[in-house]
Amino acid sequence: MQSGGDFVDLLRQSGYRFPGENLGDVQSERDLPFEPTDATTILAFQYADGVLVAGDRRATAGNMVLYDRADKVIDLDAYSVMAISGSPSIAFEIARILEHAFQYYRRRLLQEMSLQAKLRRLSLLIKDNLPLAMQGIGAVIPIFATYDQADARGKIYFYDALGAQFESADFTTTGSGSPAIRGAMYYLNRWGGRRFVEMDRDAAIGHALQLLDTASEYDSATGRYERSADIFPSVKTITASGLAEIETEALRELYVQYVDGEEAGRA
Amino acid sequence: MMLSDEPYRWAEAVANRRDYIEDQIRTGSPVVGVGYEDGILLLTLSQSQQKVFEVYDRLLLAGIGHSTDIENLRQAAIDMAHSIGFNYSEDDVTLRQIVYFGLGPAMKAGFDDVVRSPFLARVLLAELDGQEGAQIFYTVDYDGAFYRHEGCVAVGGVVEADVMMVRELSGLDAEALSLSDAAGAALRAWAIGRWIGKMDEVPTDAEELEQVAGEVDVVDVLVTALKDMEVEAVVLERSQLGKNKYRNVDAEEIAPALAQFKAD
Repeated sequence: MQSGGDFVDLLRQSGYRFPGENLGDVQSERDLPFEPTDATTILAFQYADGVLVAGDRRATAGNMVLYDRADKVIDLDAYSVMAISGSPSIAFEIARILEHAFQYYRRRLLQEMSLQAKLRRLSLLIKDNLPLAMQGIGAVIPIFATYDQADARGKIYFYDALGAQFESADFTTTGSGSPAIRGAMYYLNRWGGRRFVEMDRDAAIGHALQLLDTASEYDSATGRYERSADIFPSVKTITASGLAEIETEALRELYVQYVDGEEAGRA
Repeated sequence: MMLSDEPYRWAEAVANRRDYIEDQIRTGSPVVGVGYEDGILLLTLSQSQQKVFEVYDRLLLAGIGHSTDIENLRQAAIDMAHSIGFNYSEDDVTLRQIVYFGLGPAMKAGFDDVVRSPFLARVLLAELDGQEGAQIFYTVDYDGAFYRHEGCVAVGGVVEADVMMVRELSGLDAEALSLSDAAGAALRAWAIGRWIGKMDEVPTDAEELEQVAGEVDVVDVLVTALKDMEVEAVVLERSQLGKNKYRNVDAEEIAPALAQFKAD
């Protein structure tokens, strides 16, 4: 007997097809090698209270800057976010499906979807997107971050373009700016005096802002603090009490302190 | 069809069907909905099974009657809400759509189809801060007839109970009540509905009915009921962070309202 908690099944009954399912035979104009588009920088790490996820706000097309207010850290429910690098269209579609799928499951079956099931749902959607990913126009490589109530700790998972999922022990970063900071994150975490997991909220946010600034120094597709429009990167924390978006005023204070000011000289 | 060839027998069959359904539903535990300063409260008493359900971000459903029939209606409402919410937007999910185009026709069809079992259920739905207003309720009867209410609502085993419960609630200021006061008012209304639903002969005369309702010993009904039933209270709460406004109310939050009805 069918339990009826699968939101994707409900969508299919109403005629919905995931973009990748219908476009399997579309070819891009040139015969491009498989090369995921991932012009952005996303990072996530464990800190003292849970998990921090941060991303820059820039959306690009080639060498053009399209938009400086893109939010790439998307809320899925009260305890989880998906941070996206890759094709925004497909990524937003996946986030929208998941957001509804988690809620639908809870309401329909009267129980919360387990963490393992949430990870699996995301993985399946990435697999469904394979045809678009292989054409180099629709790959999505997300980070999934959540707070696991049962384990009483934050958890970070990253995916490859085919949907395989890996849990990150301490930190991870994806996107075109990630090579510029992956080594810096390792260095900070190992010899920076304090590991990420020992940092309090302010220090964690301050370091995330420093790292995104570093990425934007070397990667043209990663935006930094936009002075003229006063736009900061998106920074979210997930703790035992749930998901919180860090407000602009708090970011401004920590930006002054960590990126421009007195803490800037030391890690 | 044979039944429609004979108008008298058709009318008799419908009347029999009504009697049968009403007989099945009448002793059920009523559900009361009342607005309060931060949203909407739905309250009922039950032996253990859940009776108030989350449908969507700002929508609740509760029913009285056969639990599997309520379950089927609940699932239909949830499916409809999520399809609309995904394909259009969260703001397009309205109680009016779900009642007018979903539950109403489904229950009407169930009632009309004489060779199948009808929905043995009366349903109550609540919507917080939608297009129609801040505290909107709909009730859908077993035959698919639906009614819209603002501020407060109640569904019991018989229509007379609904009327008397709503009368009990009607003087309240639904935008100013505290949660605990709203729970107290809902409990009193519940007791009146419970008493009327359990009467052998419910008075049909309005004056007589009002007199009966006025004489219900609310404290006694609740003290007796609370010996083997538990209060289930669910809110749609504006101050909840995020889109989803559903929350189960802890017994402690409405303890002051409950205190007067607890046996020693």
